[in-house]
Amino acid sequence: MSEPIIVCKDVHKWFGNFHALKGVGMEVNKGEVIVIFGPSGSGKSTFIRTINRLEEHQRGTIIVDGIELTHDVRNIAVIRSEIGMVFQQFNLFPHLSVMQNIILAPVWVRKWPTDKAEAVAMELLERVGIPEQANKFPGQLSGGQQQRVAIARALAMQPKIMLFDEPTSALDPEMIKEVLDVMVELAKSGMTMLVVTHEMGFARAVADRMFFFDQGQIVESGTPVDIFEKPKEERTKLFLSQILSH
Amino acid sequence: MGRVETSSIKPPVTSQGVLGWLRANLFSNWFNSLLTIIFMVLIYVVARSVLIWSVQEANWLAVVDNLGVLTWGRYPSTEVWRLGLSLSLIVVMGTLTWILWYRHSNPRIRRVLMIGWLLMPFVLTILIRGIILPTFRTIVNNIGYYIVRPDVLISLDQTWRANGALTLAGLLTGASWVIFKKLRSRSLAIVGGLVIIALMIPLSTQSRPWIFGITMPMAIPFLVTFSLSLLVGRAVGLSFVNVTGSARVLAAWWLLSIPIILIVLTTFEVGNEAVDPVEALLIVPPNIWSGILLTLALSVVSIVASFPIGVLLALGRRSSLPVVKGFSILFIELVRGVPLITILFMAQVMLPLFLPLEVNIDRVLRAMAGMTLFTAAYLAEIVRGGLQVVRNEQIEAARALGLNEFLVTSLVVLPQALRAVIPPIMGQFVSIFKDTSLVAIVGLLDVLAVSESVIKARDYLGAVREMYLFVGLFYFVLSYAMSQVSRRLEVQLGVVEKD
Repeated sequence: MSEPIIVCKDVHKWFGNFHALKGVGMEVNKGEVIVIFGPSGSGKSTFIRTINRLEEHQRGTIIVDGIELTHDVRNIAVIRSEIGMVFQQFNLFPHLSVMQNIILAPVWVRKWPTDKAEAVAMELLERVGIPEQANKFPGQLSGGQQQRVAIARALAMQPKIMLFDEPTSALDPEMIKEVLDVMVELAKSGMTMLVVTHEMGFARAVADRMFFFDQGQIVESGTPVDIFEKPKEERTKLFLSQILSH
Repeated sequence: MGRVETSSIKPPVTSQGVLGWLRANLFSNWFNSLLTIIFMVLIYVVARSVLIWSVQEANWLAVVDNLGVLTWGRYPSTEVWRLGLSLSLIVVMGTLTWILWYRHSNPRIRRVLMIGWLLMPFVLTILIRGIILPTFRTIVNNIGYYIVRPDVLISLDQTWRANGALTLAGLLTGASWVIFKKLRSRSLAIVGGLVIIALMIPLSTQSRPWIFGITMPMAIPFLVTFSLSLLVGRAVGLSFVNVTGSARVLAAWWLLSIPIILIVLTTFEVGNEAVDPVEALLIVPPNIWSGILLTLALSVVSIVASFPIGVLLALGRRSSLPVVKGFSILFIELVRGVPLITILFMAQVMLPLFLPLEVNIDRVLRAMAGMTLFTAAYLAEIVRGGLQVVRNEQIEAARALGLNEFLVTSLVVLPQALRAVIPPIMGQFVSIFKDTSLVAIVGLLDVLAVSESVIKARDYLGAVREMYLFVGLFYFVLSYAMSQVSRRLEVQLGVVEKD
């Protein structure tokens, strides 16, 4: 077994009086694909947002690639440039073209020369299947295309870990597949991925392990076979039956 | 029903051509027809009398003869070519930028253009205001005064030069401390700062009245000036610390600053002809600028200078640091709570009370400062509105990519915020341009004040309408041009919407 790249121990998070994460622990190995699912408000998004410190955890430890997340600004900068993140609402920068969106961080954070960054960006756009859209603006693209640009933008920093926060939830049904195809390809290429999603087909196909969150805690975890065929907990069974029944 | 041959249907005649347009828009029913006729009669009457007046009665000579006075006022006529040169410089740079910026998005051309525009304020100031250059003898001689005869500097009221040099040296040294990585460059920078400090040691032992007339050794204000600029320089340096090429730019600043420091330190006259500085371009102090020159100088300076200040105030108001936030709110609310006229009076009458005796700021510069701060406060509120448009998710996405807070603000937040508020920003600029006419109240001669003095002259007595029409036209043409620029900017920079 390879060494863990993310180690979380007893992570707690409060929003005011609301206890959003109640002692979450997880170890993720290099190259693993993790799917996190659970009802809304269960803390799954909050949890993956603590990994690149978009949310601050208040108790417990999070160690990413050997660096512990503390208040030290330099650590946070290093970790954020090693972690790519894809959001539910794409969050592309509307004032920049697709190409400019992708090369922004490589040029300003990694200090790459513009031509190198553009060459890498073009490769990535081809990988996600929309090289012809390079000079358009995000507002001119469909939701599925925007999300694929967002994936390319995150990959341009050559991250070691990719976080996906419900990447297909805001998409029209006919566009979900084009985004999932890109994610499946990425998973097969050996990228370490943490994916919050309810796409159980995706989970069955590529997930190494699955985690079921409810009320700020991990209720159950295991391989897709364990979770789908013989879930142990009542809550997992109930939730799965609800989302798989239709 | 039989099929109708589409080719046989003719367009209704009335919706075509001039007649159709007239019918549809002016004579669609009896009431509109009546209105049209009444207004046509009115327009005819007004236009006829205006035309007759302007051709037969108006004394346009009053304007034509005085175009020079209206444009440059008391600017020495032998030096007017400098204004012409300045204008041509602006036009040439503007045209070059217009042609090259979008057609060749070559980064090198863009960089050259940017540097050109950054140098513009300095070049124009030197051209319009003039410059005194010291001869080599003056430099050696006058530097000598700092070391052996500081009392002469005090009696000549020249100690502000020491503060100026210390400020510049402090800023550069502070920035060098964080930006230069090589030990050699660092030590050179520190030596540069130390040389200036050493030069001021004799002067700093002398005493003289300072703020509120309190007498104290010069060492205290010197220390304050130097440490403040050291801190500011360090802060500025920190925000550029990882930007590629910043070390080279800073080195260039050092090279540029050495002659500036020498000029600042040594261009005073000691009454000895052999060592007095040479006036390379006759100094035309701003307080004799007047006419269109003054109007344009006031508006350009307050527009250009207020923009960065306004943006900083807007960011400061949203800052999480309580001191920065408090200061921004206090400044914005204080300035916005006071009419521009009051600020102009404050700048002319009150400001000298708070400043050290030796600082005697030109009256036009004081008006510029007042208008700049006034505009900055309003801009700050406009920009704050723009900042609220930028969704928090944008900031999160930028942070998740590893951008630091400075880059998040300057690459993601500000571009979106400013684009959203181009029209109100340009509106504020047009408004301050027209408000420059208020400086007449504090005794400055802008184009309106000059035109009033012209119509009081015996030869042109009574040419009131002609003069005001001319001035009105001047304001209108420039304001209209500015609003057109605003529209173009909106189209060019506007965020592309989904088709």
